[in-house]
Amino acid sequence: MNFSKADFIEKLRKNREKIINQWFQAAINTYPPETARILDKSKNKFDNPVGCVTKQSLEDVWDKLFHTLGHENRKNENIEQKEINQEKIEEALDPVIRIRAVQSFSASKAVEFVFELKGIVKKIIGTSLNSSFEKKVDEISLAAFNRFMKCRENIFLLKATEAKRRVHKAFERAGLVKELTEEQLLSSNNKT
Amino acid sequence: MADELKPDELLDKIDHTPARGSWMDTSVQIRPGMYCYAAKAESVETLGLPNARAWNPLEDDWKLPENWQEILHNGLKERLEKFRTFKIFMDICVRCGACADKCHFFLGTGDPKNMPVLRAELLRSVYRNDFTHAGKILQSISGASKIAGNRPLTLDVLKEWWYYFFQCTECRRCSVFCPYGIDTAEITIIGRELLNLLGLNIDWIATPVSNCYQTGNHLGIQPHAFKDMLDFFTEDIEEITGVNVEPQFNKKGADILFITPSGDVFADPGTYTCQGYLILFKYLKDKYDLDVTWSTYASEGGNFGFFTSHETMKRLNAKMFAEAKRLGVKWILGGECGHMWRVIHQYMDTMNGPADFLEEPVNPITGTKFENAKSTKMVHICEFTADLIKHGKLELDKSRNSNISLTYHDSCNTARGMGLLEEPRYIMNNVCDNFFEMPENTIKEQTFCCGSGAGLNAGENIELRMAGGLPRANAVKYVHEKFGVTHLCCICAIDRAVFPTLMEYWVPEVDVIGIHELVGNALILPGEQKRTTDLRMEPLPGMEEEEMEDEDE
Ligand code: SF4
Ligand code: SF4
Repeated sequence: MNFSKADFIEKLRKNREKIINQWFQAAINTYPPETARILDKSKNKFDNPVGCVTKQSLEDVWDKLFHTLGHENRKNENIEQKEINQEKIEEALDPVIRIRAVQSFSASKAVEFVFELKGIVKKIIGTSLNSSFEKKVDEISLAAFNRFMKCRENIFLLKATEAKRRVHKAFERAGLVKELTEEQLLSSNNKT
Repeated sequence: MADELKPDELLDKIDHTPARGSWMDTSVQIRPGMYCYAAKAESVETLGLPNARAWNPLEDDWKLPENWQEILHNGLKERLEKFRTFKIFMDICVRCGACADKCHFFLGTGDPKNMPVLRAELLRSVYRNDFTHAGKILQSISGASKIAGNRPLTLDVLKEWWYYFFQCTECRRCSVFCPYGIDTAEITIIGRELLNLLGLNIDWIATPVSNCYQTGNHLGIQPHAFKDMLDFFTEDIEEITGVNVEPQFNKKGADILFITPSGDVFADPGTYTCQGYLILFKYLKDKYDLDVTWSTYASEGGNFGFFTSHETMKRLNAKMFAEAKRLGVKWILGGECGHMWRVIHQYMDTMNGPADFLEEPVNPITGTKFENAKSTKMVHICEFTADLIKHGKLELDKSRNSNISLTYHDSCNTARGMGLLEEPRYIMNNVCDNFFEMPENTIKEQTFCCGSGAGLNAGENIELRMAGGLPRANAVKYVHEKFGVTHLCCICAIDRAVFPTLMEYWVPEVDVIGIHELVGNALILPGEQKRTTDLRMEPLPGMEEEEMEDEDE
């Protein structure tokens, strides 16, 4: 079947809820099944922070993606490869990736759910995807990977500097210790 | 919500998940970032606790005594007889699942074994196997044990105990939702006690406990350094206020002995809370002639012994009454801390009391009797300060905190452990105009743990801490975005130590502050100079320009 770009976008628009829901399912199915069941239950974002933040984050990412597609379409039927705003996408991905960066996921497992979007959309709208859409999902995947690495760096830095900030800063202010050696700085043990 | 889970459904599902097998069969994966380093041999030795040796949780051989199963079996037996609650908690869980999604560690890590019901089941499965009639009968029928949720105590099971009992902060949130009041924290407490019988403590607990046992505080700070720090705070306060607030140390015959966690003396930003205490005591001395003394011996309110065993907790706690007796004070005032208060409130009196050499605490300035402290003779500083404010005894300038928008974290131990809910809020509202509550399912009795309590505030388990603190941080983020909250206020030294890191990861715009830091900023000392900065030496609201000029000079 041959779809025009406009048809394709219209289908995406109509199926927004369905796509996001299935994408969300794919994301939470990366957790053990007992956990996935619970993440899908409560809609209260304080009782169920991981489920709700994940859902919200995916909605934001989807809307950004859709916006770029729609934008392209209005400008040019011929589907020019307009770069998706990398920074905006990373921001939208941040809440979900920030969570996954402290859970027991490897880098690839943490971002894998993004790729699944292609299969989900294909199944729902029943047609092959246009290349622009596929490229954009790839870009989102890379953005997710970027953000994951940033979060991990963040963690390592916090780990390295926490002891200094907590105890040594007070001692330094009081003039009880002078300079800290690198070893002291990076030590996570409570040697005093 | 969890109430959709039918009885036994939870565990049935878990047992029959084909791809992953039964939860009881999967052997534990000890993952870096989630566990704390093993206790150093010398610390275990100092305390005279069993099986001191170097060992590494990641290695196969944990260097256990040969008869380790027997030791645990007897240890479990002894505790079932000694602690009635523990026995009841082993017997009565109906696996309704109401607690399953109430633990911050489950919510943050997504690991099903962090569901309180499964955490308890780690121990309960062995209890059923070894100590119940049904368990014994089922052992003889092949395959039957597992269906009933029994299992023998193997090395894998032991490792699982160690991994998951050190992923519980003993916060008791789960118990609030259990229809039977089962307190998984108590199960963890016993679980850790059993582990200690084999020398399986973590170093972040064992070394502070050993330090505390030898020098009186967790960091092992000697009396002169303790005094140096307070002297240094005194100098800073004099620079800011023009008043010398010099404290008294080890003074015999003082009215009140003040004990606070050493974190307030040695770790930022608790140090500013400590300065708040100094300002308050100076004010009370000048205005009402109240005589408060600090002790360089009872220099630690905290008690990581609580996270080791009942006996160890008792040993460390004993110095409070001993020092109060030596100094001959009337009663004891305690600083802002969490687990310190759980120990005082729930255990001190029966462990080391009765302190009949002390008086029933009365605030000499207001005449208020602290009825709830009648027996322990120890008053929480928030009750004390709230009482002073209520009776109009403190002159406060709220505007000095007007650049701060507050929210308040109920520490698990003060909120759920002792019901201290209103006093901190009363103080905050009297020293600051901008106070915003987090959503109700995240505060007071339902408060979410900081994720680093019960001795888990180490550096090496940072992923666990960031995941465990997620539900709390998520609520802070909400009030930050909705109301522009700038500061997370708390009355616990561990909170003050761990929240800056937690905030930096999840809500970097929010800073951490103790209640008595706010009090110290607002309290107008007799004879003070015009203040231009707060206790952190940051310009007070409206004083930004003056401060700039001062710096230029
Ligand atoms: S006591 Fe707290 S940390 Fe432990 S299982 Fe219950 S909710 Fe989780
Ligand atoms: S501990 Fe209480 S709430 Fe949890 S499953 Fe058992 S009975 Fe239900």
